[in-house]
Amino acid sequence: MKSHWHETIQQYVDGQSSAEETVALFNGLNEDADLRALYLDYMNLDMALGAMADAVAVEENGSNRMTSLHGARAGAPQNLWRWAAAAAAMAALILFAMLPRAPKPARTGQDVAAVITSSQNAIARLAFDTTSALPAWMSPTASLLAPPTIPQ
Amino acid sequence: MRNLNDQHQIQFLRLFAEHEPALRTYIRSMLPSRGDALEVMQEVAVVLWQKFAEFDGSRDFRKWAFGVARYEVLAYLRDLARDRHVFDEALVHRLADDAAAAEPRHDAQREALEACLQKLKPAQRELVLHAYAKGTRMDELAARRGQTAMSLYKALHRIRQALLECVRRQLSAEGLP
Repeated sequence: MKSHWHETIQQYVDGQSSAEETVALFNGLNEDADLRALYLDYMNLDMALGAMADAVAVEENGSNRMTSLHGARAGAPQNLWRWAAAAAAMAALILFAMLPRAPKPARTGQDVAAVITSSQNAIARLAFDTTSALPAWMSPTASLLAPPTIPQ
Repeated sequence: MRNLNDQHQIQFLRLFAEHEPALRTYIRSMLPSRGDALEVMQEVAVVLWQKFAEFDGSRDFRKWAFGVARYEVLAYLRDLARDRHVFDEALVHRLADDAAAAEPRHDAQREALEACLQKLKPAQRELVLHAYAKGTRMDELAARRGQTAMSLYKALHRIRQALLECVRRQLSAEGLP
């Protein structure tokens, strides 16, 4: 595969490619399975970096236990995606526990979108809170609990 | 005791949260920009919830969600095609099929990315996370850094290529494709 594709794909990702480059890329994607694989890897990277940047932004705006911006980034946890997935179920449960029980109007699509957004923010907070305040062996939801008291 | 409606909502949120990163990548792979992908992602979340009552729990949620997402993307692209050059329908289906098949590799890459990001120089890590922060305008970021937008894009390209090569190396070392 030609090495210039790295540059061409990234220009397309950034919305910087010319009409000719875009057409060449589309033709290449139609014909070349290896190029499609490279393109899809860049798209995956693009979304993953966006999610990480969002998580850092949530931490910057929402946590009073925040480390410095640079510290939060430099100390980003290993396996953030694992942490986020593990925290997801708990975040959802917490959100539902906070919802009013009665009367219960029918939930609209927009309500659900809002709950999902809140859930994502909660997940991001959980994932980053744990880096600065908790040892690695603790569960991602441990920050929700009071610290244990040690018998004297 | 939770009623059936609560359980239904919890089941949906659990499944959605579990498969959300894969769904984002899947949608992004068929659209020209991250902004387009986020817009379609919101619509897909709503449609999935609206149709969740029809979802057969014995089926694969990811596969079902990908199917819904593919048609939402196609509808979105039809609107977009009026003023922008976008993938034709055949290429969308080709990419969607490849993206679905590549999901285990992409999942592993997302995990490997954590470690690769730590291997960057702090200034590079700072740059990439700033560039990806919501609302960032690259021309403004470039001006703040005393660079041209072009040189900023070039720097970002080098960082992304390094990250991609790093995750591919890491997966290869673990014997993954």
